[in-house]
Amino acid sequence: MKLLIIEDEKGLRDNISSYLNGDGNICEQCGNLTTAIDKLAVYDYDCILLDIGLPDGEGFEVLNYLKAKMKNESVIIISAKNSLDDKVKGLEFGADDYLTKPFHLAELKARIVAVFRRKMGATNSKLIFNEIEIDLQAKTVLVNHSPVILTRKEYEMLLYFIANKGKVISRSAIAEHLWGDEMDMHNNFDFIYTHIKNLRKKLTDAKGVDYFKSLYGMGYRFEA
Amino acid sequence: MKLSAQYTKASIIVTIIVLLFGGMVYFFAINKLGRNQLDKDLTEEITEVVDYINQNGKLPKQVDFDEDQTVFIKTNQADLPTRFFDTVYNDAKERENEAGRAVSALVKLNGQNYQVIITESRESTENLIQIIAIITVVLMVVLLFILFITNRFVFAGLWKPFYDTLSAMREFNLSDGSLTKLKTSKIDEFSELNQVVQSMSYRIKDDYQSLKDFTDNASHEMLTPLAVITAKLDTVIQNPALPVELFEQIDDIYVATNKLSRLNQTLLLLTKIENNLIEDKESIDLDVFIAEKLKQFQELILAKNITVVSSLYTKYVDASKFLLDILFNNLMSNAIRHNNEYGELIITLDKTNLIFQNRGSEIPLNLETVFERFKKGSKSDGTGLGLSLVENICRMYGWKIEYHFTASLHSFKITF
Repeated sequence: MKLLIIEDEKGLRDNISSYLNGDGNICEQCGNLTTAIDKLAVYDYDCILLDIGLPDGEGFEVLNYLKAKMKNESVIIISAKNSLDDKVKGLEFGADDYLTKPFHLAELKARIVAVFRRKMGATNSKLIFNEIEIDLQAKTVLVNHSPVILTRKEYEMLLYFIANKGKVISRSAIAEHLWGDEMDMHNNFDFIYTHIKNLRKKLTDAKGVDYFKSLYGMGYRFEA
Repeated sequence: MKLSAQYTKASIIVTIIVLLFGGMVYFFAINKLGRNQLDKDLTEEITEVVDYINQNGKLPKQVDFDEDQTVFIKTNQADLPTRFFDTVYNDAKERENEAGRAVSALVKLNGQNYQVIITESRESTENLIQIIAIITVVLMVVLLFILFITNRFVFAGLWKPFYDTLSAMREFNLSDGSLTKLKTSKIDEFSELNQVVQSMSYRIKDDYQSLKDFTDNASHEMLTPLAVITAKLDTVIQNPALPVELFEQIDDIYVATNKLSRLNQTLLLLTKIENNLIEDKESIDLDVFIAEKLKQFQELILAKNITVVSSLYTKYVDASKFLLDILFNNLMSNAIRHNNEYGELIITLDKTNLIFQNRGSEIPLNLETVFERFKKGSKSDGTGLGLSLVENICRMYGWKIEYHFTASLHSFKITF
């Protein structure tokens, strides 16, 4: 996948880029609107990460540009403005998703993967990872061709880990993905442990490999 | 007290004092003048008596001197100074006693000394004083009446621009716009007042705008560094050489960063609610909404083995779904987090009330500060903004929220 990161904070840009690079992805980055438009005029990307507050204008202009040039890059807005208006405006202008700062890199990756899958559409509704086969439309899971019944949280977690395979994911990031901001589950990491334990058991019971590696007191890694 | 009433009172008091004082001055002046005139008359009479005695060599008869009463008394005193004094005048014709003025002097006839006393009526002077008194009183009453009427009607008209300005200021709402409907007044003071109020309203609006901009910018400026911290942490934990001893430290940084960002978001939200900036109202079926929330919190409820007793009747409210979400997330997570193991959560909803009751600590929360910002129980690890947010949302929709602690139940009651 070819990605363009438009974000004025260099530290953030570099980290996003280093996290997303590899696994067949190529990231390019720029810190202002002018360079972004210049790049978009010349190259095509699969996905654009767009900050709204840029030093030389609002990120919405990128969306307008894409629309005017009939380009079909997916756009995920990453903004510090958590106002409903901005969210609605961004989605109306043609963005595919909206992520509020601060966010976890794992969450960003999961969103990018989801947006990309949506773009592929019905032609690619099956996700296959080794012996695990996930039907994204029916939301069913087969391991070694035999069905495994997962709860909604377990299913979401499996997708999340596969999207971030090979990466260490912190418990904070998992909690935020599963319960969102507002439920304040950040002091309740026991729930994550329980869910992962159950998911692991269901996968290994179906003769699947145990991909989960626990990093005690910090997080988990899904080892590819 | 109204200005006009205050002014009427002051002017009436001043008028009464001035009139009373003026009346007194009149009284004394007229009295003094009248007396002087009488004394002059009496002196003339004495001269006449002396002339008469010198010409005729005998004492004059009473009738010879108009209406004045003259009395001669033999005396052996050789020297008697002429003196004037107030006395009683006996009016023979009208047979009554009147106030009078008399003079006494010494006359000589054939070597015999006589004291002569001439008494004159003072009635005409008295009458004059009475008339003056009546005029003063009538004047006072008329003046007071006129003052009262003037103040009542002229004042009301005079101050109308002021009251117009006042009501315009009362209706002034920051989100509506500036004070543009202030009428110009012919009176300098009022037109100046209107100008000042107008420019003040512009200034407030500017300040308000810059506050909003500031809040917006602060949000951006604070959340971006937080995003950097989170991204750096996410990157640091990818390092396979990261020592295990640091795992816990890093986890703590995650938790703290998360708390900081939630704190910031909540503060922004509070500011927005207080400024009435969230207006996406829709009709929401509250019982369905709460049932969904219970489902959302199912895991937490089960983990603590909490018994949920809910009796929900259909109730629609017009509110923002976004804010209701925040409201119930806070109420629900408080009621679960501070609940006992195997505790109870009782939710009651009817047409007028919504009550959340939960078990928990046996010590009631502080009634006065429970909804204040950053006031939280010693054991609470929340942001300290949750209940403040709840109260603000309730206030925004005109609902009343109260906290009670009865029969070991903490209860939050919202009255619609």
